[in-house]
Amino acid sequence: MTSPSSSPPAPSADGRRAAFEREALVHLDAVYRVALRLSGNPADAEDLVQETMLKAYRAWNQYQPGTNAKAWLLTILRNSFINEYRRRTRHPETVDVDTIEPFAVFEEIQDEDPQGTFFDQIVDDEVLRAIDELPEAFRETVMLSDVEGLRYEEIAKMLEVPVGTVKSRLFRARRLLQAKLYRYAVDMGYIKGSPR
Amino acid sequence: MNCRECAEHLYEYLDRELTPALEQEIRAHLEACPPCGEHHDFEELFLKFLKLRCQTQGAPASLKHRILEQLFDE
Repeated sequence: MTSPSSSPPAPSADGRRAAFEREALVHLDAVYRVALRLSGNPADAEDLVQETMLKAYRAWNQYQPGTNAKAWLLTILRNSFINEYRRRTRHPETVDVDTIEPFAVFEEIQDEDPQGTFFDQIVDDEVLRAIDELPEAFRETVMLSDVEGLRYEEIAKMLEVPVGTVKSRLFRARRLLQAKLYRYAVDMGYIKGSPR
Repeated sequence: MNCRECAEHLYEYLDRELTPALEQEIRAHLEACPPCGEHHDFEELFLKFLKLRCQTQGAPASLKHRILEQLFDE
């Protein structure tokens, strides 16, 4: 018989694995998607994801139940990427991304296609290519916010920047993406576009 | 609330990151101002489009198997 003051028994290996599968492994697709956009190639992305999941499993007792497990996993992923992959995969930014000012697509298409129906004709690969062409700071912010649905506060914590920086990067990243996809749509003849 | 202020907060509004009071002000402006309403609809559509196009991609099944095996070895 256990005394009332004894701590609860440590979870069994099976229980721990089941909890990890239920709460962490369900985010595998999200972790892979972000890994792929960060590393730029499937082989590195798979290695990065495998490493991330193993680290997460070993650190599972540090995860606080009830908090966003996806954000927790993506933080581990990003740290692994920065520490071990970035140097050999992509080069650090040489431009000051926070000064880029893209133009506003809505103003361009307001008369011809205010509902933005030209987006319907743009396929997945083209969108992913446009994201890959963004500066890294924008690319990761867009993936975390717009694709994986993290809150500004969670992204700020993960990237170690103020919330205001997250907001301004999102604003510029979205405008840049719209501009790239608009140009593509004009080139492909999906939309007439304005002469320039 | 004028159009410029509304445009400034549009993404925060769409991302549901505003205080309830400011959110209410923006909503009221969007209902009263058709051009801002159109701009809102365009940005909303763009964000949905972006998410949809990027979420079709998932982890390969072989990767998931590898990870599960790895966890069982732990």
